[in-house]
This record gives sequence, C-alpha cells and structure tokens, in this order.
Amino acid sequence: MARFESLLDALGGTPLVGLPRLSPTHDVRLWAKLEDRNPTGSIKDRPALAMIEAAEREGKLRRGSTILEPTSGNTGISLAMAAKLKGYGLVCVMPENTSTERKQLLQAYGARIVFSPAAGGSNEAVRRAKELAKANPEWVMLYQYGNPANADAHYRGTGPELLKDLPTLTHFVGGLGTTGTLVGVGRYLHEAKPDVQIIAAEPRYGELVYGLRNLDEGFVPELYDASVLNGRYSVGAYDALRRTRELLEHEGIFAGISTGAVLHAALAVAEKAAARGEQADVAFVVADAGWKYLSTGAYAGSLDEAAERLDGQLWA
Amino acid sequence: MAVTVSIPTILRTHTGGEKSVEAKGTTVLEVIDDVESRHAGIKGRLVKEEKLHRFINVYVNDEDVRFAGGLEAEVKDGDTLTILPAVAGG
Repeated sequence: MARFESLLDALGGTPLVGLPRLSPTHDVRLWAKLEDRNPTGSIKDRPALAMIEAAEREGKLRRGSTILEPTSGNTGISLAMAAKLKGYGLVCVMPENTSTERKQLLQAYGARIVFSPAAGGSNEAVRRAKELAKANPEWVMLYQYGNPANADAHYRGTGPELLKDLPTLTHFVGGLGTTGTLVGVGRYLHEAKPDVQIIAAEPRYGELVYGLRNLDEGFVPELYDASVLNGRYSVGAYDALRRTRELLEHEGIFAGISTGAVLHAALAVAEKAAARGEQADVAFVVADAGWKYLSTGAYAGSLDEAAERLDGQLWA
Repeated sequence: MAVTVSIPTILRTHTGGEKSVEAKGTTVLEVIDDVESRHAGIKGRLVKEEKLHRFINVYVNDEDVRFAGGLEAEVKDGDTLTILPAVAGG
C-alpha cells in the first residue's frame, strides 16, 4: 500500500533488499532492511511513535504536554515530528558532540535542545535528563532506554516484517544503543523461529566518550536482555566507515555510519557461516541514511582521516 | 607473541598511564591474572565475585566475551583483548 492518511501512518513496512555483490557466496546471503525509509528517515520513528502512543493510552500525555528525552539525535528527530503533528512540546537533551545536521533538524522541527557535555557521551545526556525530569515534574520523559514500548515496537513491527519477507532468515544483526531493536526483534524471532541467531553490533567510540569518573557511573539500559543475544561485536569508527563506503560502492546504498558497524558484524557472521559450508540468510538493519553525516566528512578522503575526524564524536 | 590488552582511561591509574599492555594467557581470566601480576589492583576493578563487573565489557578481537564463555573465553597469541566501561548509546 502506498497511500496513507498522514505521515505518521506511513511508518514501517520498509523494504528488505538483497546484497548480491557483498554476500560471500550463493548460499550465504546478506539482506538490508532499509529503515531510512521511515517518515523522518530512521528506525527511531518506530519506538518514538510507540512510546508516544503508550503514554497517550496511559493518560500521561495530553494536548499541550511537553515531552523530555535524552537522545543522541534520531529518536529526538522522530519525537519532534510526531510532537509537532500531535501538538506537544519537546525538550531534547543531546550530547554536544553529535553531527550538526541532527541539531539543525531538531531545531527545524521546533524542538528545544539542552546540550550535555561531550565527555561521557550519552551517559551525561541521560543523567542531565533525569535531573530535568525531577526539576520539571509536569514534563513527560518517555525514556527510550527503559520504556518497554521501545522494544515492543520492534516486537510488533520490525520482527514480523523481517520474517514475512525472509522466511529462510538465519541471522539478524542490529545496532546496540538503547537495545530496543535487538531485544524486540530478538524476542519475536526466538518465539517464531527459535534457531535464528541474534547478533549485536555496538559502536566503539573514541576515548572521550568513555570518560567516566568512576565505574559505578557505567550504564546498561534497563531494556537490555542479554539472554536474547547470541553474540555481540564492538566496531570502531575505521571499520564502520570502511563498510559504510563499501555498501555505497558495491550495492549503491547510501547509509549512515552506524550501518557500517552493523554491516561489519553481519559480514563477520556471514563469513563464519560460509567457512563452515552452511546456508545462511543474514538480515541487518540500515538504521538511517547518510545525509545527516555528510558534514563529518565520512564519505570523502582517506579512511584514516575520516576516522580521525570522528574521534570523540557520537557517530552512531 | 603475546596478547595485547587495551586499557580504558579510567583504569590507567593501574598501568602508569599506559594505553595498552602485553600479557600472556589462554583464557580471559589468565590474561587478567597476568596483567594483575604487574599492575596490582586492576583485577579487583574488573572482576567481582568471579564474574565480570556489571559495567565492564571485555572483547577478544571485537567479540564480547560474555557470549563466548565469559572469563573462561579462549584467547590466542596475537589476539587483542579490549576492556571498556559500559556507557549509553542510542
């Protein structure tokens, strides 16, 4: 179906496309789920709308309410669009070391941005948002890291879509941030097809982002459920950029940098399956397109230079 | 050949500021014990009650050891063992 009553209704139902040139063999195939084909161009439209609708059902959100959310960008952009259409205000707490396009998009949608310090990355944004929630009890913090509606959006949407389009699916690879995608899709697939392997790819940032004062400031999202995962890869900026460019070069897909990290893990899994002589259909998530990262220089010049420019940035 | 252990900023007080150290061992635990023998106190930051600290992630060549046997996960000569604190993404 290609006709919708409003932009919000156009959520989900994203294409799954094969990658014939990057797949290791005829028996081990890679598939990309193009989540950039969502209303604001990222997978975060799914959890953002689901969290808003859950808060509306619970009576927490009413016309004129203000939403508060710690976000490194995409969730904020999704919330900003939905908030505009539904008549809510939005305050985003965002680390200052995110791409300028994210800031510009949030401002274009009319969101208010409160910046948190670069050191400590999203940890600091979460901490600051919790302080603001305490100081402004009338604001509604949706809290993507602990809101079950986040994972549920993928349990109800992303997961079933994947299995419907690819019944022979053997592996699912997604980015690990709030953990909502992996936990939601993983739970659905484990129930529907228990042999499917669920693999996480998490971004490995520069040292600045891990600058905790002490280990007890560490953070594991409340949604995280390690029992859903079969493996977890940590991927640095260099490999993420290299794969992002390969995806464009060989398959024509212009993806954001986090997708390169996910593809890196997907290729590792696919190559292991090929080495064992297995058949595999490996599906992975393209969380967003590359537009918001052009200013970082990710797509130009040498990989070493591009990786250096990303050091200290939250690129996923 | 040995294992290269990458140390996060927050634990470099134990390694005299070194970003990475060389160590020997065939499991994650053996490598940590070997690092501890020269950099006393670091093991206590990484391991609690014979398990990895909740806010510590350890990767062997980029794979999280929690899905490969935990402290008993296999390590080979030439591998890189990366230690990182758990931080928020998203």
